[in-house]
Amino acid sequence: MRKHIVLSGSAAVALTAVLAACGGANNASGPGTPTTAPASKGGTLTILDSETTLTLDPAQSWSLAITSSGLLWRRLTTWKVGPTGAPEVVPDLATSDGTPSAGGRVWTYHLKSGIYFSDGQPITSYDVKYGIERTYAPALSGGLNYQKPLIAGTAGYTGPFSGRQLSSIVTPNSKTIIFHLNKPYGDWPWVVSTTSMAPVPEGKAPAAAFNNHPITSGPYAVQSYTPGTSAILVRNKYWNAATDPNRSGGPSKIIWELNQDPTVEAQTLIADGPNAQDAFGADFVPPAQLAQVENDPSAKARLVTSPASPLEYVAVNMQSPKLKNLKVREALEYAVNRQAVVVASGGPIAADPATTLITPGIAGREPYNLYPAAGSSGDPAKAKSLLAQAGVHSLTLTLATPNDPISTAISEAVQQAYSAAGIKVSIKSLSENAFSALVTGNSASGYDLALSSWQPDFPSAMDNIEPLFASAMIGNGNYNISRLSDPTVDALINRAEGTINEAAAGKIWAQADKAIVADAAVVPLVYNRNSFLRGSDVENFYIGEFPAYPVYTAVSLKQ
Amino acid sequence: MPPKILSGPAVPADVPVAAVARRSGAFARLLADRWGLAGAAVAAGFVLLALFAPSLSGISGNNPYTYHLSALTSSGLPKGALGGVSTAHWLGVEPQTGRDLFAIVAYGARISLLVGVGATLLATVIGTVLGVLAGYRGGLVDTLLSRFTDLTIAFPQLIFMIALGALVPASFPKQFFMVAVIGAFGWPSVARVVRGQTMALRNRSFVVAAQAVGARPLHILRTEILPNLAATITVIATMSIPGAIGTEAALSFLGIGVPPPTPSWGREISSAIAWVSVDPWYLAAPGIALFLVTLALNAFGDGLRDAFDPRMSGRLR
Amino acid sequence: MKLTRFLLNKLAGMIAVLLLVSLATFLIFYILPANPARTECGRLCTPNELRDVRAFMGLAQPVWHQYLNFLTAIFAGRTYGSGAGAIVCPAPCLGYSFQQNRTVLSLIGQTLPVTASIAVGAAVLWLVTGTAAGVVSALRHGKATDRVVMTTAIVGVSAPSYLVGLLAILLFGFKLNILPVSGYVSLLQSPGQWAFHLILPWCTLAFISAAIYGRLTRSQMLDALGEDYVRTARAKGLLERRVVVRHALRNVMIPIVTMFGLDVGALLGGAVITEKVYSMYGLGALLIGAVQTTDLSTISGVTLLAAVFVLVANFLVDLTYKLLDPRV
Repeated sequence: MRKHIVLSGSAAVALTAVLAACGGANNASGPGTPTTAPASKGGTLTILDSETTLTLDPAQSWSLAITSSGLLWRRLTTWKVGPTGAPEVVPDLATSDGTPSAGGRVWTYHLKSGIYFSDGQPITSYDVKYGIERTYAPALSGGLNYQKPLIAGTAGYTGPFSGRQLSSIVTPNSKTIIFHLNKPYGDWPWVVSTTSMAPVPEGKAPAAAFNNHPITSGPYAVQSYTPGTSAILVRNKYWNAATDPNRSGGPSKIIWELNQDPTVEAQTLIADGPNAQDAFGADFVPPAQLAQVENDPSAKARLVTSPASPLEYVAVNMQSPKLKNLKVREALEYAVNRQAVVVASGGPIAADPATTLITPGIAGREPYNLYPAAGSSGDPAKAKSLLAQAGVHSLTLTLATPNDPISTAISEAVQQAYSAAGIKVSIKSLSENAFSALVTGNSASGYDLALSSWQPDFPSAMDNIEPLFASAMIGNGNYNISRLSDPTVDALINRAEGTINEAAAGKIWAQADKAIVADAAVVPLVYNRNSFLRGSDVENFYIGEFPAYPVYTAVSLKQ
Repeated sequence: MPPKILSGPAVPADVPVAAVARRSGAFARLLADRWGLAGAAVAAGFVLLALFAPSLSGISGNNPYTYHLSALTSSGLPKGALGGVSTAHWLGVEPQTGRDLFAIVAYGARISLLVGVGATLLATVIGTVLGVLAGYRGGLVDTLLSRFTDLTIAFPQLIFMIALGALVPASFPKQFFMVAVIGAFGWPSVARVVRGQTMALRNRSFVVAAQAVGARPLHILRTEILPNLAATITVIATMSIPGAIGTEAALSFLGIGVPPPTPSWGREISSAIAWVSVDPWYLAAPGIALFLVTLALNAFGDGLRDAFDPRMSGRLR
Repeated sequence: MKLTRFLLNKLAGMIAVLLLVSLATFLIFYILPANPARTECGRLCTPNELRDVRAFMGLAQPVWHQYLNFLTAIFAGRTYGSGAGAIVCPAPCLGYSFQQNRTVLSLIGQTLPVTASIAVGAAVLWLVTGTAAGVVSALRHGKATDRVVMTTAIVGVSAPSYLVGLLAILLFGFKLNILPVSGYVSLLQSPGQWAFHLILPWCTLAFISAAIYGRLTRSQMLDALGEDYVRTARAKGLLERRVVVRHALRNVMIPIVTMFGLDVGALLGGAVITEKVYSMYGLGALLIGAVQTTDLSTISGVTLLAAVFVLVANFLVDLTYKLLDPRV
């Protein structure tokens, strides 16, 4: 998923991370060592966020499992993310990660007992089914829709509001739920952990009103939500901690302050005044404030940085007439100056040069560099010679980019590097929505290159490759913005998805990775390190190996 | 007017409406006005800076596009004091890119002045034509103009700019687009003043006499009315330029001005604000430049107005 | 009767302009390349699903039909979809924002008080300060007070508002730590905090506008003080203060109040830059957000409202003129 979207379904502006971690590239603890103390209960936590809206309806939310979604919703499975070690999918409402049968086409789950909604009603398998069926309603589209094409027999299904139900989700009793999929799918337990799969009380939440007054299943319930201003979360008194070892439920109240300016937010946290000590920032710390933190030891200690993971890349539009020649595309690979992109992101603190598509920390990754260029500053001379070999003497390309500050800075760095190789780049800077409409739309014209970033929605190599490079993902709002349509790559993807054994699947994904970069359908730029600040009274604020965000569900306050 | 930011060239209503500006002696009065002259000099300086931006930046071998990563520390801050001021970079460098700030300010002046003066010219031409028509004709024409003015000021200028800006192809230079839109929204204030003046002039004896003799309206407009309006129009135009420059900067600040890498003061200020606690010099360069140009043109405009307004003459500033 | 005819005329004109403005806004966004249905549908959106979402949002119809729906909804309300999954927007319905899952009216209800608080507070402040400064300056023209005030004024007029605002935040908010840097507290929740959070926005806006009003008042005042009737009043032996206040000032206030009315009307449509700088979610912030996400309903609703403010302000000013000065 797009790396910056943490909470809501509405488009957000990307801010790249900006903090330098001393220590190894994948060291989860940086200058700010996370305080992992046993979670104390009590206190009011404030979360400062630049978003103006929160999507509180699970059907429409893009939240990661361990951020806002984790505070409000429980699903059949969830993620266990510790300060060190790889993240795991673990049972949440269910008693196991799921039992596959029929070669991975059918998955069975049994629910725990003692699980209740925030209105006191018990959570049953019918509620889980209803929650999933809701995601098919046009009024509630827009969420993380991984499950939609995978569940069998959903063609033409428009949700449960007209009374129709899905026969491929079977609920023989209130504690059992069985999914019938279209094909064997090894990553189904991860799909089940996504927010769209959260249970919603059956029959109770027809449409949009639910977003403003949701009924939750996690440690917190929503007391009020005012778009553009704040949301107030209070303890869900029916949440049973004994059934939920993955969430701390530390603070008694959470105030989510919206519409913050990211620079002011970071400065407030650096200053650590009385209002900021019980707060943390939901946004990446901007480059200027990272530089500020460098000189401020107390602030430095309260900064946490993720390992380098989300990928920043330039997608090469394979359907652009100017880019049909492989040598021209290879020139793009050689000319790019990753060093300048690192600086534009905020320095080594914020980014590492990237050469592969599968990001660090994901199982199956094999490091390689198909286009070695001296010191990652790029090789404009080699690029020029490749262009000459292709018989191209002047090349002008359009680079589409979202108009947030960091993307703008990176696009300028790319433009500058390419001009050194004789390639003229004109930047098309667009608002988030206009950018998506352009690159994920059905027309291949309008851009030759597109700057984007990607963090998988769950830690699987599948999510590094398939959504970005499978030919079925071109257009219709999907993210194959390179518009790569390569049968070899598609075949590799299909094989890997159907392989249940993780290690074997990993090898196939690595092959696909190399094939795509060899075809120069994408220019990997950097892996970003995201940095976040906390106030001095916030504890258990850490970032695991994946995702590159703090684990909200672990946070507690010093009493 | 600045609070709304987007009302185009803000014509201050303190331009005299009733009296006909007296040209005789105006030049002498202008020369005697120290502040006005100083303003003119500074404004002229910026015009020269803008015109000769490439050669001036070239003296230190710079342009506003080239990155100088070697001039930055690893966190992207300029090396050295005062934001990296050195013989190679007279005003220092930009954080994260190392681009030369003097070149950025010089080239940025081009955009600010081009859009500011261009938009004002457009607004003045449209406003004068419409204002004279309404003032001279009166009646239905005047009423229609009144409606049209209402429509223009009620129209959502900002959304129009953003939306149209998204539609305009990337190959069309954004600065001309901005001239067109800011100018197209700025004419009401000019028209209002010109209309008032025209109505006053219409009843003056020399105009009535010309009409009695049977002169055609176009002739009267050309020989009697327009020359008498010339001074007022000049003053209005000059006083509107700072507002137009401010509007361009504000739009760039909001991110809807000329796209990178073309330097623009507004956009530089917008990025520089975030760096103020660690590199205040980054903000100082474009911020002071914008402020000085606006101040200078305001002072010159004031001087011009005072020079032309007979009732102001003889008053100490 | 003449007054009635005047009122009806003006009203008709206003409605005509409103229709034109709303139609223009509609058209502009209709021809934009962004696809709100696609954004709403999200990822992995099959063409069938997209078609369903488009139909649900009412975007499948021709533009004139959509515009008509928008207009009729204002009087009769509107329902999206049907059955249990329908979304109802009761009259007066200015549209429904799918992005925010709320009716535009409720969004306006939430943001208007913010903008109004900023606008009215700053307006009162700048009117009082500006005119007072202008009068004082005119009375003492040529002397030191005059120079100081006018120099401050020309500086105020020349400084970009966003720069002043941001520097004020840095100085008073972070360095000196005496004022809050962002956020709006509702008047109903806490009048004290409401005013406290608004001090910086009020002062920033007022500083720049007071400069303009000061200059205007001063020049109008100087004109008025040189007029015949003032000379007559002085010759009659009236007290200077009486001359100033009752004669000169009253005439000066007419163009000032005119401009004031128009300025406040426009500002109520959203003080975009101020709201952005101080992170206050008013009409301006709502509008900018809606433009970036191509939320046509919100854009149409807020633009219409802003146009209403401007037109009503214009109307009130014209009415005041008509009532005060029968020659007009």
